[in-house]
Amino acid sequence: MYPRPIAPNAKAHRALYMGLVIAILLAWLAPLCAIILTSMRAPKDIATGNLWGWPTEFGLVDNYVGVFTQTPMARFFLNSLMITIPSVLGVLILSTLAGFVLSKFKFRGSMLLFAVFVGGNFLPAQIMMIPVRDLMVRLGLYDTTYALIIFHIAFQTGFATLFMRNFIAALPNELFEAARAEGASPAQILIHVVLPLVRPALAALAILVFTFIWNDYFWAVVLTISDSVKPVTAGLANLRGQYVSAWNTISAATIIVAVPPVVMFFLMQRHFIAGLTMGAVKG
Amino acid sequence: MSSLELHHIEKSYGSYHALRGIDLTVEQGEFIVMVGPSGCGKSTLLKSIAGLEPITSGTMMINGRDVTHAQPGDRGIAMVFQSYALYPHMTVAQNMGFGLRMAKRPKTEIEEAVTKAAQILRLTDQLEKLPKQLSGGQRQRVAIGRTITRSPEVFLFDEPLSNLDAALRTQMRVEISTLHAKLGATMIYVTHDQVEAMTMASRIVVLNAGRIEQVGSPLELYRNPDNFFVAGFLGAPRMNFFAGRVVQVSTGHVTVQCPLVEPFDVAVVDNAKLAAGDSITIGARPEALGIGSDGGFPAKVHLVEHLGRETILYADAGALQTIGSDTGTGNLTVHLPDVAPFTKGDPVHLRFDPADAYLFGGDEQATLSIPKSI
Amino acid sequence: MPNFWRQHRGWIAPTLFIMPAVVLFGVVIVASSVQSLWISLHDWDGMSPMHWVGLGNYQELFRDPQFFTSLKNNCIWLVVFMLAPPLGLGIALLVNQQIRGMRLVKSLFFIPLVLASVAVGVVFTWVYTPGFGLLALVFSAFGATAPALLSDENLVTFAVVFAALWPQVAFCMVLYLAGLNSLSDDLIGAGQVDGARGLNMLFHVVLPQLTQVTFIAIAITAIGALRSFDMVSVMTQGGPFGSSSVLAYQMYEQSIFSYRFGYGAAIASVLFAIMLVFIVWYLSRIMRADDRGA
Ligand SMILES: Nc1ncnc2c1ncn2[C@@H]1O[C@H](COP(=O)(O)OP(=O)(O)O)[C@@H](O)[C@H]1O
Ligand SMILES: [Mg+2]
Repeated sequence: MYPRPIAPNAKAHRALYMGLVIAILLAWLAPLCAIILTSMRAPKDIATGNLWGWPTEFGLVDNYVGVFTQTPMARFFLNSLMITIPSVLGVLILSTLAGFVLSKFKFRGSMLLFAVFVGGNFLPAQIMMIPVRDLMVRLGLYDTTYALIIFHIAFQTGFATLFMRNFIAALPNELFEAARAEGASPAQILIHVVLPLVRPALAALAILVFTFIWNDYFWAVVLTISDSVKPVTAGLANLRGQYVSAWNTISAATIIVAVPPVVMFFLMQRHFIAGLTMGAVKG
Repeated sequence: MSSLELHHIEKSYGSYHALRGIDLTVEQGEFIVMVGPSGCGKSTLLKSIAGLEPITSGTMMINGRDVTHAQPGDRGIAMVFQSYALYPHMTVAQNMGFGLRMAKRPKTEIEEAVTKAAQILRLTDQLEKLPKQLSGGQRQRVAIGRTITRSPEVFLFDEPLSNLDAALRTQMRVEISTLHAKLGATMIYVTHDQVEAMTMASRIVVLNAGRIEQVGSPLELYRNPDNFFVAGFLGAPRMNFFAGRVVQVSTGHVTVQCPLVEPFDVAVVDNAKLAAGDSITIGARPEALGIGSDGGFPAKVHLVEHLGRETILYADAGALQTIGSDTGTGNLTVHLPDVAPFTKGDPVHLRFDPADAYLFGGDEQATLSIPKSI
Repeated sequence: MPNFWRQHRGWIAPTLFIMPAVVLFGVVIVASSVQSLWISLHDWDGMSPMHWVGLGNYQELFRDPQFFTSLKNNCIWLVVFMLAPPLGLGIALLVNQQIRGMRLVKSLFFIPLVLASVAVGVVFTWVYTPGFGLLALVFSAFGATAPALLSDENLVTFAVVFAALWPQVAFCMVLYLAGLNSLSDDLIGAGQVDGARGLNMLFHVVLPQLTQVTFIAIAITAIGALRSFDMVSVMTQGGPFGSSSVLAYQMYEQSIFSYRFGYGAAIASVLFAIMLVFIVWYLSRIMRADDRGA
């Protein structure tokens, strides 16, 4: 272990160290704390700069109820779910299929194909913005959730295929040869061998891709305009414009945008980290 | 009708020729062991037979059917892998029944086959366990059980015992041989362990650099190796080789000379095509060398292995130009059938009876002469 | 027919499996990217027919002062973002102790990473708000007045990058923590036996083992800096007067607000060309590592 562990019996030393770490953590999260506190305050306190002191009046309930009743945030939230969930499912299916083929079948150009999936994943969104928007307009999908779903599935499939390919490639080849020798067809191998073995990878991938898609902002503003299809990120940016200095409302809305990924993260932290760091650590 | 026929199988990986024209006919019920050094193409050949690797050219028949282009599952083969390749998420019973399930056989038939295989392999109590709950030997038996349930025409084994410890390996060796006797099926077994080869095979196939060097029963290969490679590969400790020269050629025999040993006459095969002055390689099994108090030639003990009733000496006879020795130029291996009180550094007199000599020569290092005593 | 299927399923099935991914990714991502290069050679408002102008858009670009402002800002992003790997390493070293409660502390340090960048943008806008934002409060505690960062042409980009650094540092910390956990204990032990301690140990034993992590942290941070869009859009919309714009935002503005799709595509192409350097660098190393691993 590095740095050298502080001895378990050095109680005072440990307590002191922990105190230091917590102080740094508080500074680190101060911006977030400010938003959380603001979302619980009445407008009056904010206007007078009473951010950290005892609130003169609690606004927690008012603020959050206000976000859902006075703004279309509830609608945005629902839209986000309706965009994110099908997209994640689509990505999982496509990337498992592609990752299986790229890792366990030998064919010419497989390495190139793989490089395209990985490289495409790092392209700046702007390089494909105009044609994608144009494509969605021509398909009649512009300003519908389908436009975002299709785009997210396509784009995230790059990263997800890299992820699944590496995971499946690490499964022993002999397992697949054994299945073939026993007469299993590629589809049977997929169902009976690959799927049961990639379940942990799928969990990690699902939460990662969920976070990526939920947090997307650029494509939300490029492919949607109506409140009835907009996801929370674009919705929040809109509210910023409308409620310029109603910081209590905006803060509450921000928290609502932030909560689902944070909750997912805390529920499946191990998977999340494993997914994010895959490839970084080995080799 | 032969169980398995290979006609001129070739296999390349890009520009690398892994298999170079393999011809082999295997009869029903034979236990064929393929041996050869690591990387010689044993696994490649086995996978080609299984259909897991496409071959570049050649044809393959199993029980008279041309299976050259058949899918692995349609060939009537089953394979045991070095790492066992058990499906980690399936129980022992599911692992053993997987092949039949893929073939969409009725449940009762699968259960019956699994039960029967489990009985043969003493796995009846383990059927509901997962592979990770089993010992190495049990996993090995599940891997074999999985092949039995499908009652294939040809069993393929790829170094199945190499992951087991020595004691278990001996035990499994006996079990596989027993199984072969019980099922009477054709088995092709790959190993790089010559003890496995000698003890299990009805016939041994010696592979080297993608070619078959020789095929024959274990004793045939031991007594009458076709060439230098086979002679060196089979037999432990390894045969001693040293350089010699032909000094005179007569009908049916030649006179050979090498340092430290009086020139001697050896009977050779008719087509030996030797001429005076040709270089040749002389071979002597460690068992064929002896020691005496005088006579023979002097050497120095370099290392002693006391094996209990037997003793192996590694002796340094400097002037003798040994070839491909494990322990260095000038070193000879001597296998003594008794307890010998030598220690490192002792001088010894080694005796070598020309009647026990093998002779190899020509471009291919083919065998020209084998000992009369055999 | 079933026989044909059995004979050929060896390649038909995998082809069918990979098709959806290849087609979707090929059409939506790859073809679109290539098409943008083509569009950049035209004058186009998105509706009327495209009008060929050759390299005209690019020539205009190099006379456009806003382009150079954006390019300069992208460079600032790139340079300042390089603080993320060392800061991430620092926090990772700080929390890589087995003390009760440290697990929770680690998770809390991760939080900025999972926040939507829009949320981060809003959070920092609030922090920077003159008068009663967090920054203003801190300054007033020292009896000073905080500068209005987001309306100061010289400071605005730094203010935005600083906000964006927050999640990026968390990302690097995650990478380094995973790296530190995969360190070989034997090597650390050998280093200790050889008398290496503290920073010596870090630079001579620990970091050399984390080169792959460092490489990925730097590459992804660089690519992230060049891709920056969300924060600029949410916090400043490129302002004041375009002083905080970056190529990605300028492109968006030209296309969506000014309907100059050809010009926007040209900006995107330049951005793409710059990023290509990093993408190729990243890919070649990843693929090589992959070959070694296989
Ligand atoms: N997929 C492959 N691509 C390229 N070369 C291979 C491949 N598989 C095996 N080889 C080469 O073919 C030769 C024979 O390999 P193998 O049959 O596995 O040897 P062994 O006799 O040890 O089982 C080796 O030199 C190996 O490097
Ligand atoms: Mg092998």
